[in-house]
Amino acid sequence: MKLVRERKGQFIIIAALLISIMILSISTIIYGTVTYFRQERWEEYVTIVDSVKTGSTNLLEISLARYSQTSNSTILRDYLNQWIRDVRKAYPGFGVDLGYTLASGVQSAYGLSLNYNLGLARTWNQTVSFSAANATFTIDIASVGLTGYSFSAHAFLKMNIRDAVWYSRASKQYVLIYVSVEKEALDPVINLQKSNFADVKLNGVSQSFSFRRYYSTTYGSFVYELRVNSVTSLPSSVEATLLDTRSIKTVSRSTTIRQDTS
Amino acid sequence: MKRRGIVKNPKGQMRVIEAIMAALIVVSAIVFLYAFAATPSGQTYEAGELEKIGHNILHDIDEQRLLSRFVYNGEWANLTAALIVSVPNDVYFNLTVYDVNGNSIGHPLIQYGSSQTFVSSKAVASVTYILSGYQSIYNPRVLVLKLVRV
Repeated sequence: MKLVRERKGQFIIIAALLISIMILSISTIIYGTVTYFRQERWEEYVTIVDSVKTGSTNLLEISLARYSQTSNSTILRDYLNQWIRDVRKAYPGFGVDLGYTLASGVQSAYGLSLNYNLGLARTWNQTVSFSAANATFTIDIASVGLTGYSFSAHAFLKMNIRDAVWYSRASKQYVLIYVSVEKEALDPVINLQKSNFADVKLNGVSQSFSFRRYYSTTYGSFVYELRVNSVTSLPSSVEATLLDTRSIKTVSRSTTIRQDTS
Repeated sequence: MKRRGIVKNPKGQMRVIEAIMAALIVVSAIVFLYAFAATPSGQTYEAGELEKIGHNILHDIDEQRLLSRFVYNGEWANLTAALIVSVPNDVYFNLTVYDVNGNSIGHPLIQYGSSQTFVSSKAVASVTYILSGYQSIYNPRVLVLKLVRV
């Protein structure tokens, strides 16, 4: 009878039960929190975002290359619309939705004024010439609840005729054209070959030329030296056409040609 | 007398029994948690790690502007070599290139390791990577890289 009526001892059992419930509850919450990110297949989503991001940036370069060669000003928009459909097809079941906004109007960048139309801009036949593309993308992945991941992509190629000199020596008469080439972030392009210079013209007439590249202390940059031999008179204009390794084209032209008789 | 008193004191015995029961309850709770904790299997972790490796390799090669060149110029031997030098020694791979409609474009076998390994292994990771084109030509390709650790 005494055993049944003892109430003090029950406290330990009740306390143990409460502690057990606490352990179970807290552990469940902590476990769920800690393992949530581990059990999700994040690599797959990261792969999709990275792949689409890199592909979109490449597409911008492809479009700019196409635009600079064909002057088709809607090419970037057309390619992007196709790209959005193809990305959905490539990742079925993920709910990948790619959106884009093309740059428009005048924008200052790279020390230049770029007048974008449908994400594309170019200024050719100047001493400093360029081709540029600019777009902002957003990626949504419905299956994982990712929305509004945004990034910008740029493609840019600039060629600058640093100097053009006609050497009118008695023994040899030739023209040297010094050009520098830069891409996005104004990084100098230093891996071009002679074949990348599709055309060199004097007075609007194509010429055969030789090619050298080196770092010039005179201009404080990496330069390409284009030499046209047997030039008997001072040309009124020099022109160089460049197709870089991405096939992006730009054409520079200068009417300022120095004469060197020394 | 004292000894008899201890043995016969039912209050003291009950304390011991209660303490044992309490301990049992707490231990049961912990055992229950351990038994029902659905930890991801080793295979899940392994596939995740391999996916990470595969994605990093493809992304690195693409960042160097080599992936598009290899795929669009059909430089399959170069692509295979680039993948072999990039994957860890104990990882085998198989790469298939498709168009966006899921049709294989018909390239030579791009593989390192025996085909049997991919059939028999329980943890085969698969990475899908899309390329938009090359130079001035838009022509998307979907690369599916399968990886397995031996």
